[in-house]
Amino acid sequence: MSIPTLQGLQTALSGLVAEQTAMDTTGNNIANANTEGYSRETALLEPNPPLDIPAISTLTGQGAQLGAGVTVANITRIRNVYLDSQYRAQNSALGGASAQTEELQQAQSAFNEPSDASVATGLSAFWTAWNNLADSPTSEAAKEAVAATGKQLASTINQLSAQLSQISGQVTEQVKALTGPGGEIENYATEIAQLNTQIKLSEEAGQQPNEELDRRDLLLDKLSALGNITVSEQPDHTDTVSFGDAAKPLVEAGKLNWPQAITEAAGGKLGALLGLNGPKGAITELQNGLDGVAETLANTVNAHIPAPAKPFFSGKTAATLAVAVTAAEVTASGGGAAGGNEVARAIANLRGGEAERGYAALVEKLGGYVQTAKNDQSNLQTTVTAINDQRQSVSGVSLDEEMTNLIAFQRGYQASARTLTVMDEMLETLIDHTGSGM
Amino acid sequence: MTDRITPSMVAASTLTDLSSALGELQRSTNEMSSGRSILEPSDNPYGASRVIDLQSQLDGLTSYENNAQNGVSWASTAGSAMGSMNSSLQRVRELVLAAANGTSNQQDMETIAGQIEQLTEGIKQDANAQFAGEYIFSGTATTTPPYEQGANDEYQGNAETISRAVGPGASVAISTNISKLLGNGKEAGDGKLLDTLRTIAANLRSGNPAEIKEVATTNLKSLDTNMETLTDLQASSGAATDQLQTALSRNEDLQSTITETLSNTEDANIAQVSVNFANEQAAYQAALRASASIIQESLINFLQ
Repeated sequence: MSIPTLQGLQTALSGLVAEQTAMDTTGNNIANANTEGYSRETALLEPNPPLDIPAISTLTGQGAQLGAGVTVANITRIRNVYLDSQYRAQNSALGGASAQTEELQQAQSAFNEPSDASVATGLSAFWTAWNNLADSPTSEAAKEAVAATGKQLASTINQLSAQLSQISGQVTEQVKALTGPGGEIENYATEIAQLNTQIKLSEEAGQQPNEELDRRDLLLDKLSALGNITVSEQPDHTDTVSFGDAAKPLVEAGKLNWPQAITEAAGGKLGALLGLNGPKGAITELQNGLDGVAETLANTVNAHIPAPAKPFFSGKTAATLAVAVTAAEVTASGGGAAGGNEVARAIANLRGGEAERGYAALVEKLGGYVQTAKNDQSNLQTTVTAINDQRQSVSGVSLDEEMTNLIAFQRGYQASARTLTVMDEMLETLIDHTGSGM
Repeated sequence: MTDRITPSMVAASTLTDLSSALGELQRSTNEMSSGRSILEPSDNPYGASRVIDLQSQLDGLTSYENNAQNGVSWASTAGSAMGSMNSSLQRVRELVLAAANGTSNQQDMETIAGQIEQLTEGIKQDANAQFAGEYIFSGTATTTPPYEQGANDEYQGNAETISRAVGPGASVAISTNISKLLGNGKEAGDGKLLDTLRTIAANLRSGNPAEIKEVATTNLKSLDTNMETLTDLQASSGAATDQLQTALSRNEDLQSTITETLSNTEDANIAQVSVNFANEQAAYQAALRASASIIQESLINFLQ
């Protein structure tokens, strides 16, 4: 007899161990059901190498193979790397659109249109004041009103300009915070480099570093919101990560190349922020547009004030626009006669003119920027959610599934234990009941 | 279509759906409470810029309306002043005719001259009529009375015109150059009304039959010419009033058109929004109910 006597016990034991490992894996999955970035794991079971039964040992004279139980070949995480790269590409775009929406909505709030405290109502009130002065050119009250509405208008434009500068400053600060030492990019990249080293060591030792791999993937997801990234897995299982339009890879094995020069072509949040403040960026365009409105306003109004009277406005930019005259110096007429009103009429007639049209166009532009950014954000959010659903469909923990597995593995464990009992009884028969009567 | 569905997917999509349903509900509430469909420029960029334009046009029309009404009042003040001058002149003419009928003695002549001098002062006073604190017959020198009371008959104003804007680039001249009628008095010898009246009074007082005779001939003739000038001035002031009235009624039409356009552009369609609101509310409640029941269920509930 060439089958080892205790072989059955070994086989039953391997079943117990395998089912226990599978149950432990399931338990780990359930525990991590809500862990960010966790990929479900599965214990890969394989049959043990069979036992060869030599030809002479069987009745037919032919040899046979006897199964020798089961072994846990590996505990693998279930993940689709193609979905990861799709997710990261869309997530970069979403990061950009979100950053743009956030900043541009602040700009939109600064413009405060439509409201009773906006540049548009200020302009309208200013023209009305000049018009009223034309009706009563000698009235001190009408002159006061012209000077007061002019000051109000100038200060509304000054404030708006200051708010735009502040937003622009915030954007610069955010870029600094992201790219600077201890910033998000550096933190993520440092950890990715460390994980690369650990993963390489584990893989070399023949282990499957599932938790480190999950953590690295999660960090890459987060990094992708900040800029476009390309990840290429090296034969030694380290990831080489290129970030934005940086010349050198951000992470190469355990090495970090940061800081590097980045432009608005970097994509993601960083690219969007750099873009907003760039020479063709939305914030810059709005600021320039507002400067244009202020300059046109000052020029068109001043053009109607005849020398030697003082020009009404001083300053030619949105930040410096100011009323240069006192109420007493407001001129309704160039002739010097008290009742003349041709200057006031000409200025009141600027209503609907270049300055106002320029401002309306600026508001339209602003609305367009915010609308586009919001739409982009909402579309990309849908796409990212859809891709993430696909990823979750592959990698996410389904409690129903885990519970079903748990029952299956529990039953398997019970059955293996039962086999062990049967084997034990068989051996008992053999040991206790043979040879004692002889 | 995804084949495996996990509780966290359900939770995430439930949350997204709930927040988007709530977002729509909030939007409708804002539209209803503000009455506006454009709450910020991004809701409708073109509409927002159009609202700025239309609102300014509407403010402009209100200004033009005020200007025209102001002009009408100005012209009506001028009209009644000139009407008063006209009655004074009719009286002067009667007095001149009475003096000329040959039955009056020198005493009567003196009395008539006195009356004419009084009427002259009255006419000068009429010329000093004011509207909202401004002298309306002084050209643009509205702080200076056009004529001083008493012997000085020189015109103190200027020949500039005063206009009121009644539309973009359209204005109506409302001032009347009274010096065309009254002139600068006897010293100037310009044949204008004050010259004529002073000459009549002087001739009546002279006691010289030749000069008295002149009153009924040359002087009466220039008086009639002066009265024609007054009629012309009244007519042109009336024409200005007509122009202003036309502008006012046109303005009213434009205001209602623009108000309607503005309302179509920026106002919320309350009926529509209310229906949307009710639908969104029902959808949100259904979503809440569904989420509350689906997330509670899993295989664990049924395992022993």
